[in-house]
Amino acid sequence: MPTTTNYGWTTPADTDLVKDGASAIRTLGTAIDTTVFNNAGAAIAKTIVDAKGDIIAATAADTVARLAVGTNDQVLTADSSTATGLKWAAPAAGGMTLLSTTSLTGSSVTVSGISQSYIDLYLVVEDLYTSNDQEDVNFRFNADSNANRHAAIATMSASNSTAFAATSVRWFYGVSNNSSYKKMGITTIQNYANTTNLKFAMFHSSGINAYNTANTTANFFQGVYSQASAISSFELFPNTGNFSGGTVKVYGVK
Amino acid sequence: MAKSTRPMVRIHNIETNEIIDREMNDDEFSQYEADQLSLAAKKAEAEAKAVEKQAILDRIGLTADELKMILG
Repeated sequence: MPTTTNYGWTTPADTDLVKDGASAIRTLGTAIDTTVFNNAGAAIAKTIVDAKGDIIAATAADTVARLAVGTNDQVLTADSSTATGLKWAAPAAGGMTLLSTTSLTGSSVTVSGISQSYIDLYLVVEDLYTSNDQEDVNFRFNADSNANRHAAIATMSASNSTAFAATSVRWFYGVSNNSSYKKMGITTIQNYANTTNLKFAMFHSSGINAYNTANTTANFFQGVYSQASAISSFELFPNTGNFSGGTVKVYGVK
Repeated sequence: MAKSTRPMVRIHNIETNEIIDREMNDDEFSQYEADQLSLAAKKAEAEAKAVEKQAILDRIGLTADELKMILG
């Protein structure tokens, strides 16, 4: 008796007698029934998933289970301790996460509520200019205006004879009031969330020199904060007048 | 609406994403005035040093750029 190509079901031959045709059809029907039943049992039912984002993962050879969807911003991560060998988790260490973008306006800007979940903070100021010309823009750790908690050093190898004698450190020197001469700057506060060490930051800035607009300028100031407190906020303010433009971005770095 | 008489400050709590723009309160304004005096004093000191520096350059007959070139 001939058989089908894929599943080998037995079918009547073209020359079989009518009296044997019914038997052949019954045999074929039984074979089809068995195959379909077995295939259905091996299929993965869609009812295994219960919510948007659920995925199907193996727990062993020929065995699957539902892995419920993770929370926002989690990534799928291998973990041999779980049933599926997978889990949803926060991204692994490394890289920068943008925590905030704040437009600079008014006579001072305070950014607070900084997450303590990272290792370093990286701040970027872009497109900065002020209402008054040839202005300095200053930085306060933790928006802390108490006297004698800030110290600033203007060069890589200088020392400051009046240690913590300031209420802020200078970040930008000679900011213009002309929107054509905007400045940008970056600073990194390393290990900002620890509560045992002083805090250091290196303040870099560059742009057109407001004192001589034919020149570009780059400045570097090292700032030190005498408190061991974790850094959860900071303040930026020009010496006089207001911010006319710019943004400050805060990145958490792991 | 009363006209603003004190400088405006912006406070951005990035945990709640709340942004508050308001006039300085009494403590902030006191600190602001103290800062103005301190920064003005520092600026005056820096300007005095610049004048002294220029006087020295004039005495030795060099410009600042020429001195930088010599010092490498």
